[in-house]
Amino acid sequence: MSVRELFRQKLGNAGIVPDPSLGSKLMRIQARREFIRFNPGRFNIFYLGGILVAGITAGIILSPVSKKQDQLTSSNQSASVSNTISPDNKQVSGEQTGIQKSNSISQSTSESIKKKPALSVKGPSVSKSPQRSESEAKNNFEFTLINDTITKKGLLNAQSAEMHRLAGGFKSVDASFETSATEGCAPLKLHFNNRSGSLDSCRWIFGDGGYSSGKNPDWIFDVEGEYTVVLTVFGPDGSRATSSAVITVFPKPLARFEIAPEKPVLPKDEIRFFNYSTNGVRFSWDFGDGNKSELFEPRHRYDKFSSYNVKLKVSSDLGCSDSMVVMNAFSGSEYFIDFPNAFLASNQGPTGGFYSAKSDESLQVFHPVFSGVTDYQLKIFSKLGIAVFETTDINIGWDGYFKGQLCDPGVYIWKVRGNFRNGEPFIKMGDVTLIRN
Amino acid sequence: MMSDQQIIDGCANHERKAQQILYDKYSHFLLGVCMRYATDKPEAEDILQDSFLKIFSNIKDFSGTGSFIGWLRKVAVNTAITHYHKNLKYRYHIDIEEYVSVEAGVTSFEEDFFTSDELYQVLNELPTGYRMVFNLYAVEGYKHKEIAEMLGVDTNTSKSQYSRAKAVIREKLEKLGKLRSSYPGSV
Repeated sequence: MSVRELFRQKLGNAGIVPDPSLGSKLMRIQARREFIRFNPGRFNIFYLGGILVAGITAGIILSPVSKKQDQLTSSNQSASVSNTISPDNKQVSGEQTGIQKSNSISQSTSESIKKKPALSVKGPSVSKSPQRSESEAKNNFEFTLINDTITKKGLLNAQSAEMHRLAGGFKSVDASFETSATEGCAPLKLHFNNRSGSLDSCRWIFGDGGYSSGKNPDWIFDVEGEYTVVLTVFGPDGSRATSSAVITVFPKPLARFEIAPEKPVLPKDEIRFFNYSTNGVRFSWDFGDGNKSELFEPRHRYDKFSSYNVKLKVSSDLGCSDSMVVMNAFSGSEYFIDFPNAFLASNQGPTGGFYSAKSDESLQVFHPVFSGVTDYQLKIFSKLGIAVFETTDINIGWDGYFKGQLCDPGVYIWKVRGNFRNGEPFIKMGDVTLIRN
Repeated sequence: MMSDQQIIDGCANHERKAQQILYDKYSHFLLGVCMRYATDKPEAEDILQDSFLKIFSNIKDFSGTGSFIGWLRKVAVNTAITHYHKNLKYRYHIDIEEYVSVEAGVTSFEEDFFTSDELYQVLNELPTGYRMVFNLYAVEGYKHKEIAEMLGVDTNTSKSQYSRAKAVIREKLEKLGKLRSSYPGSV
């Protein structure tokens, strides 16, 4: 066989036993990451998300009307995405846009688009469907059995049925409602308008486990799937009627990406973007420097160092979209340069400005502490503006001498400019007091 | 015994037990993948660890399209590529190389003649760039155009690095083969 076949056959599915300590080390790291995500000591977006979740859960437990919020799912997502982004960068989980079809009446939808059923129902569990204790035998309409799970078929019916049961002279109720759309992208927020005739009370069952006894409720469907919404209207004298409609919720794409390398040097490095988005077919990247791309995993080179916000918007074939932004994707905050504000020039003669940990004990050379500096230029001026020292070598400081003579004690001005390793430029100035030894 | 779907669901819920089972079930295979891209076992284990961390964070987004093991493998290969880019000390002009023509080899190899350890060794000894291209083309099955995208080089560079990788590999295998036959006792 050829070289290619040889390697593909023998190594393609080969396994190697890892060092036994690796597994436990991995689990420890993973446990620590998960703990950090929810660590109350760390105030950040995820903590905020946690507060929202706690508050909403408390609200749900207390309130008689169950309402789910989409912060629940989006805060969980923003918490989990943290693992792929370095702590310095802020990252915002994106806004959702959806298509809403225009107005439609509850009774009409005879075509129902069959989508795949949702995997699970997220959100707090709410109570089971109400009992249908009264016998429905005489009613001549069908209704779907409503419970917490998502129904697959749409059933539309609605009519008041009480006319048969009640003797004449009673006003019968009749049920109908409207909603702003019957399909759209998750999370789908709808307003339901009760168009029933006069009624005493009503009960809505939304088909995803939620219910309401309001007259014109709002509802948010978080999870993709098909839901049959049933309105039951109660008239005087115990009459009632129902009406239903099918709502189709399209799956939501998820925008997720990673930037490599993690600590790039701009503008030198070419940046790669790895795409972990799901449920999307179209990608729209904005690199933050005015350039864009529609590739799945683009590469991009920046012209200069700056703080760029990188954004990805992902769209599904049904028109739903999601986006993710990484702010300041390329900043490296561990680079720094700082100068002291005084030093003791020695009167033993110029030393050339070389410094070390030992010489620092006697504070005889004025020099910076720093990390990650690649280009450097330092100038020192007397108060009258005379340049007394200049260097482009960060390992050489000022010994306090000018033209072989020890300078007068007093305040001098220093100015430094340069670049950090990631391309970020710096300019600083300050003053330093020369103290004669 | 957990099914893959149960493992996926468990990991998506951050259950330690499911994560442990996922590791136990797939770490051998994934280390086999990482080992092809690394220069030695400790480096391969580094890549393996990073791969699993990525798998744990991204597993809830595994939508079920395509095989699970294929997805795991893809995460490991991507992690190996990120690792490769991170460790490049000199980023200037690595993609510009003269094209050196290489004779097509004639020797063909018997699968059972070499152990997997020997083949891993051959890969580990290749220059890193050759090793990346060879793995992605010959074992993972990507096209040169895709490899060029992934590694940040020209398509032509991918092709020429692949030819050169094969030539070096062939030389090493022939040497191994010859070595083996002159020591009939060793296997």
